Amino acid sequence: MSKIPFNATYIKRFVPDAPFIRGRPGEVLPEAYKKFWREWKIQKPKPVHYIAEPGRWKRNPETGEVSKVQNVPIPLKFPKDSHQQLWGGEGVIQGYQKKGKYNHRVPHFWVPNLKSTIVYSEILNKYMTVVVADNTMKLIHENFGFDHYILKTPACDLQSDLALKLKRKLLTALNNKDLNHESQEKNEMVYEKYKQYLSKYTAEEIEWYGLTMEEALTKYNQEKEDRKTIEPLKLQYRLDLIQELLERGGETEPVPEEKKSWLLRINPFHSKKS
Amino acid sequence: MTGYCASRLVTGVLGWNGHCLRAPSTVPLILQIRNTFILQRRTPPGLTKKNKRPKLRSRHYVYDLVEDTNLRKQENLNVILTSYVQGFGVKGDRVSVKPKLAYEKLLLPGLAVYATRENVKMYEESVDKEEKTPAFSSASVERTVGILSRQILAVVMNLETEWTLQPWHLRISFRKAGFIVPEYAIELPEEPIKGPNLDLEGKEFKITVTINKSETVPVRCRIHHWSTNPGDRLPYVQDHWQQTAEPLFPDNQKSFQSDQ
Repeated sequence: MSKIPFNATYIKRFVPDAPFIRGRPGEVLPEAYKKFWREWKIQKPKPVHYIAEPGRWKRNPETGEVSKVQNVPIPLKFPKDSHQQLWGGEGVIQGYQKKGKYNHRVPHFWVPNLKSTIVYSEILNKYMTVVVADNTMKLIHENFGFDHYILKTPACDLQSDLALKLKRKLLTALNNKDLNHESQEKNEMVYEKYKQYLSKYTAEEIEWYGLTMEEALTKYNQEKEDRKTIEPLKLQYRLDLIQELLERGGETEPVPEEKKSWLLRINPFHSKKS
Repeated sequence: MTGYCASRLVTGVLGWNGHCLRAPSTVPLILQIRNTFILQRRTPPGLTKKNKRPKLRSRHYVYDLVEDTNLRKQENLNVILTSYVQGFGVKGDRVSVKPKLAYEKLLLPGLAVYATRENVKMYEESVDKEEKTPAFSSASVERTVGILSRQILAVVMNLETEWTLQPWHLRISFRKAGFIVPEYAIELPEEPIKGPNLDLEGKEFKITVTINKSETVPVRCRIHHWSTNPGDRLPYVQDHWQQTAEPLFPDNQKSFQSDQ
């Protein structure tokens, strides 16, 4: 297999685990992070802005010809601001409108309808002000709660960084049983309600969930640094000395003293009294 | 919920001139806020081989609007109340309300929960009968009591013909004020009020209204004389309910004042 160069930005065919190929910085990351990456970047998101044609094959009603069904998703754009909001899988669509046969196509942007609301997380026991799209509220109601919605939907459907970080927080809080309600009873009740979502992930996977590539690499490097133990140099020098002595083979001849010149033998601090 | 302008977002994507899609400009473009929508391609792209990305040309970016989901009729949300809520119902009641109202007034403050199977068992079925007996006979009683207690009813009576105040007079006065009150629910004061008597003009007396044959409310009424002949009519008093009135029965003055 030919080694792909470090700075290669193109890959003609679709390689799922491209960032983790040998020679790329993501090579070192554990399987737990790769699982999250696949859920986030590779898994096909649920169609939000188009209706997917069902099935794998379709027949032309006139000719009877059978052809394959390929649902090409509408490419979405996610502006920077969207990552501090919860758009629920929606994005900005850049395209054209062509109103009539003799009209020229006109550029158009379809932008979701956004509203600022308050959202309550039962696991974190917090009320949060977020900017949310209409679709997101529908999804929260369909899933019977904000926590259920975040934990049920895969990372590819959540899309925004805020949603992923919230999911990470919820999973870690559940995993560590770090719930802050008024009573222990209430904590246990909340844990029983949401523990079903922990079965999808191991503890290590939750540790790596919701991190971007840069954050994951930083985490890996930090862990690597932490594993290094700093020992005092004298221990190394002792070992070196022992090694040297062993190499000499236990010679009993004393090392001859070097002859010092008479100048060096003079001790100006010698007391005259004695 | 407050509206959020999408202009700031799109400045980064769209330039000053809508046709040039380059770097963000410093001049903010205020766009109409678009709704959620379902689009369809005008020209579908061709089939692609396995593990290859589809080649999308600019003709594949021409979309038609199939549906605007915001224009669909909002389906009601089913929620179960966890405590008595004025105007909605009693603990354990299943209520079907518009989603925004349900979320803002009931779900967020914790007065209700979603109607899932577990919640139905927990709240609807397991509530004791004693707990479920309502404080009021129906959901709107509390509000009706509040409105009637603040009402100063104008009882308009004839200036020429003799009359004795009867429940049907008050029923009609209530109807004029926008209340449907049956005659059996109206209780007049013990002493009969007879007229026409200009000494009674603008004076206040109390009647008792019974709601749902259980809850009672005292309602303040004031007599006004009216003539069919416009020349004989008394001068019009602007906002008569904002002015204090003397009691019709001076014996009950103490209780009257304390209520006022």
